[in-house]
Amino acid sequence: MFVEIKDLAFHYPNQKDFTLAKFFLTMEKGEIVSVLGASGSGKSTLLRIICGLEVPYSGVIKINNEVMSDESRFVLPEKRGIGMVFQDYALFPHMNVYDNIIFGLKKLPRKERKERADEVLELINMVDFKKRYPYELSGGQQQRIALARALAPQPSLLLLDEPFSNLDADLQIKIREELREIIKKAGITSIFVTHDREDANAIADRILRMEHGFAYPCTVKI
Amino acid sequence: MNQLRKWTPYFNIWTLLSVIIVLLVIAPNISIFISFFVESSENWAHVKEHILPELLKNTTLLIIFTSIGTILIGTSLAWLISAYQFPGKNFFKWALILPLAIPPYIAAYTYNGILNYTGVIQTTLRNRFDITVDQVYFDIMTLPGATFIFIFFLFPYVYTVTRAYLANQSAALVENARLFGRSNLAIFFQIILPISRAAIVGGTSLVILEVLNDYGVVQYFGVPTFSTAIFQTWFGMGDLAAAIKLAATLMIIIFMILFLESFLRRRKNFSYTTTKIRPLKPLRLTKWRAWTAFSYCMIVFSLGFLIPFIQLVDWMLLTYDKIADPVFLSLIKNSLFVAVIGSLMIVVFSIVVANFARIHRSIISNAFARVTILGYSIPGAVIAVGILTVFLEIDALLGEIYNFIGIDSVLFLSTSLFMLISAYVIRFLAVSYNSIEAGFEKIGTKYNEASRMLGMNITKSFWKVDFPMMKVPILSGFILAFVDILKELPLTLILRPFNFDTLSTKAFQYATDEQIHEAALASILIIVITAIAILIFHLVLESDERRS
Ligand SMILES: Nc1ncnc2c1ncn2[C@@H]1O[C@H](COP(=O)(O)OP(=O)(O)OP(=O)(O)O)[C@@H](O)[C@H]1O
Ligand SMILES: [Mg+2]
Repeated sequence: MFVEIKDLAFHYPNQKDFTLAKFFLTMEKGEIVSVLGASGSGKSTLLRIICGLEVPYSGVIKINNEVMSDESRFVLPEKRGIGMVFQDYALFPHMNVYDNIIFGLKKLPRKERKERADEVLELINMVDFKKRYPYELSGGQQQRIALARALAPQPSLLLLDEPFSNLDADLQIKIREELREIIKKAGITSIFVTHDREDANAIADRILRMEHGFAYPCTVKI
Repeated sequence: MNQLRKWTPYFNIWTLLSVIIVLLVIAPNISIFISFFVESSENWAHVKEHILPELLKNTTLLIIFTSIGTILIGTSLAWLISAYQFPGKNFFKWALILPLAIPPYIAAYTYNGILNYTGVIQTTLRNRFDITVDQVYFDIMTLPGATFIFIFFLFPYVYTVTRAYLANQSAALVENARLFGRSNLAIFFQIILPISRAAIVGGTSLVILEVLNDYGVVQYFGVPTFSTAIFQTWFGMGDLAAAIKLAATLMIIIFMILFLESFLRRRKNFSYTTTKIRPLKPLRLTKWRAWTAFSYCMIVFSLGFLIPFIQLVDWMLLTYDKIADPVFLSLIKNSLFVAVIGSLMIVVFSIVVANFARIHRSIISNAFARVTILGYSIPGAVIAVGILTVFLEIDALLGEIYNFIGIDSVLFLSTSLFMLISAYVIRFLAVSYNSIEAGFEKIGTKYNEASRMLGMNITKSFWKVDFPMMKVPILSGFILAFVDILKELPLTLILRPFNFDTLSTKAFQYATDEQIHEAALASILIIVITAIAILIFHLVLESDERRS
């Protein structure tokens, strides 16, 4: 199993109730899993725990047979090699598209950095936008840049937090086809979080339903 | 059972430095609290019965009226400047910060000099117009007079924080409200005041603490408050214990205010969800509206800067020849030296603790943030005692070490500039901390988190992502601290090394010796240096706004 999450539980320090409890998930390499749940059901929280931005209360997270988090171990987010596309993209406003994309490539030599940036820009079809600043992009373009930025360092696992929530309906349909294609082409194991069952259906190989911090597997697509 | 996992994210340099900074800040306060419980005093009963009620009354009145005044003036000006275009707006934008360049005690004796029997107003009336007005009508040396001084020389604390917030944060809301045809007044009261609550509360609490800490104005005007009483019991009666009890009483009041502040600022951790931080586009005012706006700004600017400044220049010209000499140059050097070193340390410390606090949202980090700004709430005199106690302990320890390794005493900290600068750092950390914390709040944690997801650790993320967006709040934090150190009085008077004079101690000496004219040159220098600092700040801010 590429991803193994066992008995994960979490609550925010200022809250008594668990935001997430008894969460289990296993994934094959290259699989795309959707987590489907209403607003406030804890989807973003789940992703934040997996990527290391929150410390779980209990449970084990293993990625590619490496323990990321258990009773005694906690790997810092920057050491996990996980890519994340945030709900609001979080593109760095003071850097242009190119600088945003090479941000995660600082370990590569300059030439390779540039090649990789061109590669991912090619993948999302936005080569001509290199010099633009985030505020000069439409919502859909920002979303694709955020995706490219996350893909650039070739993460072992990609997390996507409602990447369509800021897009209008037409664009959403167009882009979600594209997104699945891009991810599949890149061959990256992904967890994709959404409140929209159409999105989940269109993109995922498998869907997990989330209610009040508990998750239920769905065997068939809904 | 999962302790280790829980603490792993804390293992970094930011945590270590934060702990050290917090210990430095807290040590003198702890030493005060210890002596508060250990010693008792005979004078205390007398003070409590006969002096305390009046102190409480005066302090309460000063706080309430100064707060109301500074909030009204500070926020209305911030709103005018950030939302409208009118003649002189670009000038007033920074000119309205200038009252901060005049320390209230200098303003106090300047205004008294203008209004007293031999002052410019009375003499003009007498000599030109042959009118004699009873001096009672011009008496500023009263509680309302002190309130006037505080309002007009402290309102920039509210103005600057609120304006910075409004300029960047309110665009979407205000433009929406304008589209819905809300009137300007309605926008101000229903939108601006509520959304900038955190900024206003932050600015106002600084004003209140400044009032509580003031020694110069109330001493000069003869309005008894805690500060004057602490000085009087300490130096007058020689009863440090009673002074500490007074200080402790004052601290209780201060803790109540701080509690109220945090209550009013609760749930403040929201920041913009859109990636753009967009400036507010000012509306052009026309005709009488434009002139009303201009006149309002002009009146406040005149009272808070122009009038006292012109008067001081006049006095300076009278006394310049007598005062200016090489000794005076050394005063300038001393003042700049301690202010630059002190505020650099303050800014670095603020960044460290504020970044630590926002990354680890926890009880510990909140406590750290609280402790960091503690110093500002504590009267200069009290910090002085606390610091002195701690440094004497350290020196005793050093002395033993020197003895042990068999050398004569090499270095004693309690007689060094190091002690004075430490006191400044403790006292003024809050000024820049508030600015830097607000800056961090504005950008939120999402960029930092995005950066960490791309493989950068906390420190690299700070330099590459947060710092470029934080230049303005950091610079404004530096300048506020610099200005405060430059004009600081009680700490400097008590803790300076022997023969070490600054502009402010010299000006104060002249003023209390009733040599108001002679105090003008030092006062002007404080004001000019501060004004230049503010100008630099303004230019950087401008270019920063233009770039984004
Ligand atoms: N920083 C926080 N502190 C305390 N509680 C939080 C915090 N962030 C989220 N919560 C709470 O945790 C629960 C789950 O939030 P989360 O953001 O994970 O939901 P979500 O499923 O992503 O919702 P949405 O679809 O609206 O993004 C909510 O009840 C929310 O109020
Ligand atoms: Mg969410």
